[in-house]
Amino acid sequence: MATVLEPAGAPAADEKPPAGRTEPTTPGGRRRHLPPLLAISPFYVLFAVFGAFPILFSVYLSFQDWDGIGDMRYVGLKQYGWLLQDSVFWHSVLNTFEIWFLSTVPMLFLALVLAFLLHSQVRFAGAYRVAYFVPNVTSMVAMTVVFGSVFAQAGLANSALRAIGLDGVGWLSSEWGIKSSVSIMIIWRWVGYNALIFLAGLQAIPTEHFEAARVDGANSRQTLFRVVLPQLRPVVLFAAVTSTINGLQIFTESQVLFQSTDVGTTGGPGQEGMTIVLYLWQKAFKEHQFGYGAAMGWVLFAIIAVFTVINWRLVAGSDDDRRPGIAGLLRRKGARRGR
Amino acid sequence: MQLRTMSRRRFLGVSLGGAGAGLAGLTGCGSAEGSASAGSDHLSLWYWKGSLSDKLLATARRGVPGVPGLKVRGSQIPDGDIDSKVRTSLAARAYVPDVTVVNNDNLATFFPDENEFLDLRELGAQSVRDQYLDWKWKACFTPTGRMIGFPLDAGPTALYYRRDLFREAGLAHEPADVAEEMPTWEKFIAAGRTLRAKEPGKPYLVSNIGNVFQQVLLQSSRQFVDADNRFIGDQEHIRRAWDLSVDILRQGLSARITDGTPDFNAAMSGGRIATMTTAVWAINSLKDTAPKTSGSWRLTTMPDGPANYGGSYMTLTRYCRDPEAGFAFLKWLLSPANQLESYQEMALFPTTPAAYADPAMHRPDPFFGGQQPIDVFGPAARKAPVVYFSPYEESANTPFFQELTNVEMLGKNPDRAWRDAVHTAETTLSRVGVS
Repeated sequence: MATVLEPAGAPAADEKPPAGRTEPTTPGGRRRHLPPLLAISPFYVLFAVFGAFPILFSVYLSFQDWDGIGDMRYVGLKQYGWLLQDSVFWHSVLNTFEIWFLSTVPMLFLALVLAFLLHSQVRFAGAYRVAYFVPNVTSMVAMTVVFGSVFAQAGLANSALRAIGLDGVGWLSSEWGIKSSVSIMIIWRWVGYNALIFLAGLQAIPTEHFEAARVDGANSRQTLFRVVLPQLRPVVLFAAVTSTINGLQIFTESQVLFQSTDVGTTGGPGQEGMTIVLYLWQKAFKEHQFGYGAAMGWVLFAIIAVFTVINWRLVAGSDDDRRPGIAGLLRRKGARRGR
Repeated sequence: MQLRTMSRRRFLGVSLGGAGAGLAGLTGCGSAEGSASAGSDHLSLWYWKGSLSDKLLATARRGVPGVPGLKVRGSQIPDGDIDSKVRTSLAARAYVPDVTVVNNDNLATFFPDENEFLDLRELGAQSVRDQYLDWKWKACFTPTGRMIGFPLDAGPTALYYRRDLFREAGLAHEPADVAEEMPTWEKFIAAGRTLRAKEPGKPYLVSNIGNVFQQVLLQSSRQFVDADNRFIGDQEHIRRAWDLSVDILRQGLSARITDGTPDFNAAMSGGRIATMTTAVWAINSLKDTAPKTSGSWRLTTMPDGPANYGGSYMTLTRYCRDPEAGFAFLKWLLSPANQLESYQEMALFPTTPAAYADPAMHRPDPFFGGQQPIDVFGPAARKAPVVYFSPYEESANTPFFQELTNVEMLGKNPDRAWRDAVHTAETTLSRVGVS
């Protein structure tokens, strides 16, 4: 690499050729590359052992029947077959998507608004940024316990509702109550993180664009939708993709919220809080059906892959004119109207 | 400049060292003989906080009395993780503890892999058999007749009830009278109706019907899967537990509150729930939950008789470096005298009935108005039935508890819920070879 990057016209005779800057195939060249390779090896070694190996092993495992200790029994595609017929699994898929939608859409919107506010001149901006980011690094298990009492029948949430003259809600005992509670916890945790990502994107936009918009008489709504959002597209894509990946792997919130030592239920009444990963955990680690759990993990992988591609097309597709996408359509319409 | 290069180089050295240590640790797997204590002078023990006496473990760390040269070092593992950690180490055949504690429900999950544990009969367990409760001893055996567990503690159950509420409703309220007036679940439910109608605070009989379902189940010697790996969850003994639970709900006697939630705590201290049907180990959490109700509670025999709910076992894994010493440690730690000490220190209820006669267990408890809990739990521990738990119990019973919650919380039709539970259990079990 180094030889390629060397300026073509450099007078080689003037400089003493550095040691090892010879053909990379010679033993000396290899020795030269050894220290940097060793220096980055901790990551690759640990990744190979704790990342790559488990991933590959889980592929193998999904074709086996295994309780974790005894002999594995090859069952072919049976685990996948059972999974596709498992009504609880499909229920958990539906729940996951409902919770993902209920949390991600308001969260990204809120994060954008927050970022916009933080970007304008406010006092103590640094303190606000820290405050919004703190939920993201708080222990989710501890927070779930706190939210458990907020959403209790006689908890803070219902007291607040009653104070403004509304009826209490069965936050943890009705279908949409459960899904809203879990979604609110996800929003609480991720909105600050995404706001900071958006803020970084906002700060990368040259101030001239804002000035130009102001000179042209654009109000702040027009500035947001016509100037800011189009330029934020890569950042929005990033936030949407990571939120999808995180959102489809919801686990802690449901697990801790409906944890009960006495009674063997998972995911709350009606299993409305049962997510894919929670079901995976229940099957693999509570009931020791590791093959079934591995198969579920790969189906989840497929679902996430599909949705990441869809997200990509929706948000980034407009960069390529042959690839239609919502953002592209909006932009083209906007451009036509502007003319 | 020089300083910076130094620190950078040191940083690289440290990170490489870390990776090297990681690798060395990994290659260690499989090379040793598999025990976590290989190459040391002690045996290793895994337990969770509160499952064993800290004082006795401190003694064992210095040397187990009566066994020259034997030291046992305990490691605390969080109780939610211990079974999967034991499972992981057994699968890896490395760093397996010599001795481990296994929770009640989970001993059976090791039955399909019973050879991973030593058969304690071969180490002379039979010689101490008569010191232990019969049903607990029998529960240590796998269906093929190997003894892989050793009795740790027991969880005899009782009816906890609010004497003051019972009296205000005009019901029998002294422990002996309550036991006589409410010998069956049907009579218990009838008393609940009176309570709700006559007591001014209109208390509920139970916090949720899942608890009742659980206790009626444990009173039966058969659970969801029998020793021949057949599903028996659709039979009469389960249906009776289901119908009794649903009846309590239909009559409006359940507060429909999950135990351990903030709502449960509020209801317990507010006197809105008049009874609990649970094990001896619930005493301390009740005292923490509702300290203001101290003196109002009483204990008596559970309707339809006592059962056992919870309680643990100890095992020796097949990687145990010194099986004789391991068993000598179990015999010492779980002897009647030391179980009595563990009861006084940790409230672990002994599985050695000889301890029940000791004056130390006959202390009046002001929380129960001066009643001696042992008077109820002692006889209950002796009378609990012998129950067979299958390795697939959790897979089998989860749908039933789930559907019962759906009936209670979401108003699902009980008959439809029952059919769904049976169907889900059958489908799940067919995958693991239970028919």
